[in-house]
Amino acid sequence: MIVRSLQLTDFRNYSTLHLALGSGVHALTGDNAQGKTNLVEALVVLSTMKSFRGVANDAVVRKDAASAFLRADIVHDDLREFLVEIELKSAGRSVAQVNRKRVTRTRDLLSVLRTTVFTPDDRNLVHGAASLRRSLLDDAVVSLDPARQDTINELERVLRQRNALLKESGYRPSASTFDALDAWDEKLAAVGDEVGRARAELIQELLPLAQSSYRALVGDECSLLLAYDAPWREAGLACALRESREDDLRRGSSTVGPHRDDMVVSLDDFASRTQGSHGEQHSLGLALRMAVHHLVSQRWGTPPLVVLDDVLSALDNKRASALFERLLSALPYRQVLVTSAHPLPASPRITHWLEVVAGTISSCTQDEQ
Amino acid sequence: MQAMIDSLARLPGVGPKSAQRIAFHLLKSDVEEVKKLTNAIQEARGSVRFCDRCFNFSETTYCHLCTDERRDTSVLCVVEESRDVVALEKTGQFRGRYHVLLGAINPLEGTGPEHLKVRELLLRLEPEGVQEVILCLNPNTEGDVTAMYLARLLKPLGVKVTQLAMGLPVGGDLEYADEVTLGRALMGRREVGE
Repeated sequence: MIVRSLQLTDFRNYSTLHLALGSGVHALTGDNAQGKTNLVEALVVLSTMKSFRGVANDAVVRKDAASAFLRADIVHDDLREFLVEIELKSAGRSVAQVNRKRVTRTRDLLSVLRTTVFTPDDRNLVHGAASLRRSLLDDAVVSLDPARQDTINELERVLRQRNALLKESGYRPSASTFDALDAWDEKLAAVGDEVGRARAELIQELLPLAQSSYRALVGDECSLLLAYDAPWREAGLACALRESREDDLRRGSSTVGPHRDDMVVSLDDFASRTQGSHGEQHSLGLALRMAVHHLVSQRWGTPPLVVLDDVLSALDNKRASALFERLLSALPYRQVLVTSAHPLPASPRITHWLEVVAGTISSCTQDEQ
Repeated sequence: MQAMIDSLARLPGVGPKSAQRIAFHLLKSDVEEVKKLTNAIQEARGSVRFCDRCFNFSETTYCHLCTDERRDTSVLCVVEESRDVVALEKTGQFRGRYHVLLGAINPLEGTGPEHLKVRELLLRLEPEGVQEVILCLNPNTEGDVTAMYLARLLKPLGVKVTQLAMGLPVGGDLEYADEVTLGRALMGRREVGE
C-alpha cells in the first residue's frame, strides 16, 4: 500500500498542507518544532483514528479552529484506491470516512492503511513499563487479526466493571456481591484466557523474526529470547481469580490477569530490561518493531508504510548511516518516511528529499537539506 | 426556551441539535397540538406503572401479558427492559410469559443484582410452574455477565436455562457480516433439518 497524497487542514501546526508522496524512501528534514512528527502523527491517526502520542482531540486541532481535517489518497498493491477522510473535532465525536462512506470501527481504517512507526522511544519497549510491551503485543494482535479488537476492548471493559464492584464492596461484601463477582470472574476468565492465548501465540511467531532482525541490526550472534510472563496461565485464569479473590477484595482491584502480564526480553540469558546497555535496549526495541512489521507484512502480503521518526538523530553521522542501511535492508517496504532534525546521510535508497519549515513542506535536494 | 431545549436534550437518543429542532418545531406548532402532546405525556406518566408480576409497563396491577390465560406459564423469558418485550412480541414466536429485570448488572453505574428484579424472578418460578427460563439479555459485556449470574442462580433450582442463539441478520450477505457475529454463528451451527 502507498499513500499517494496527504492533505491536512488545521492539524497541529499545519493550516493547510497538500503533500504528494510516491513509492520509495522520503527524507523529511527540518529544524525542531517545524512539524515533522506532526506529519507522522497525521498518518497514524489516518490508520488508527487515534494519536500515538495519546492526547485528546483538542490538542491536535490547530488553535482557534473547531476541527482538523485529514485526508489521504491511498492505493493498494492490487490497484484498489481508497480515500480516507477524518474530521477531528476539538469538542465532540470525530468522524471517519473511507471512500465517502462513514466508518465507525478502527479496523475499517486499519484494513486500508497500516503503519509501522519507529521512534527514539522504542528503547522503552525494552526498558520501560510492562504496559508498553502489552500495548505492542495487543496492537500487533489486532493488526494481524482485526476482529480481536473486540476481545481486547471487552477485556478492558470487564476489568473496569470488576474493579468498580471490588471497590464499592469494600471490606464487607454482601452475599449478592459474591454472586455477582462469580459472574464477573467467569466472564473475565473467558476473555482473559483468549487474550493470553493470542499473546502467547504471537510471541512464538515473533521470536524468530526478532532474532533475525536483531542480528541484522547489530551483526553479531546473540541468543535473544522472548518469554510471555503470565503466571496465571498455568492453571487458567478462573483458578487464579479464585485464589486471588481475598487479595482483590482487600485492595479493591484485580491483581491477576492479562492486564498485569509482561514480555521478558533477554540477551544471552540476561534480562535486558534491567541488565541491558542503553545501546542494546535501543536495538532490541527496534528489533521488536521490525519483527511485528515482518509478521504484518506476511499476514497481508504487503508491507505497512514505514516511518522512521527521528530515530537517527541521536547518532553520529557514521552510525546513523549504518543503522539506516541496516534497517532498510532488513525490512520489507514499499514506502518509507524518514524524519530528522540533522542532515541525513546520502543514500541511494532515498528517492525524495523534502524540507519541513513552519508547517510547510517543499521539495529540496540532498545538498539543500 | 433554553430550559425546554435542555430538557429535550436529556431524552435518550436526542442530541443538542435534535433538541433544538424539536423545540423550534413545537414553538411553531398549533397550541392545541402542543397541549395534546403534553396531556398525552402527563396522562401516560400518571397512569402507567410497572406490572406487579413481571415489571413490564402496565396500566393495571398485572399487565395484559400476565393476565392473558392463553399464554404458556411454563416458559419464562427474562429481558432487561420493557422495550425488549415489545421487540420479542413483534416476532409472534413466543407464547410464554416475560420477566423484566429493569436493567443489567453494571457496577460502573452502581447497579448490582440487588437493584434488579432478581429476587422477584426467583419467587415466580414455583407458583407459576416455570420449567424453562430463556435469558434474552443484550449481547454486550453487561448482558453476558447478568446472564451468567442468573444461570448460576437458576440451574441449581432445577429449571432449564437457555439463551438466545447468536446469529446472522436475516436478509443480509455473509460477506458483510462482522467477524465476531459470523464467528459466533459458526460456533452455534446446527444440523440441517433439525
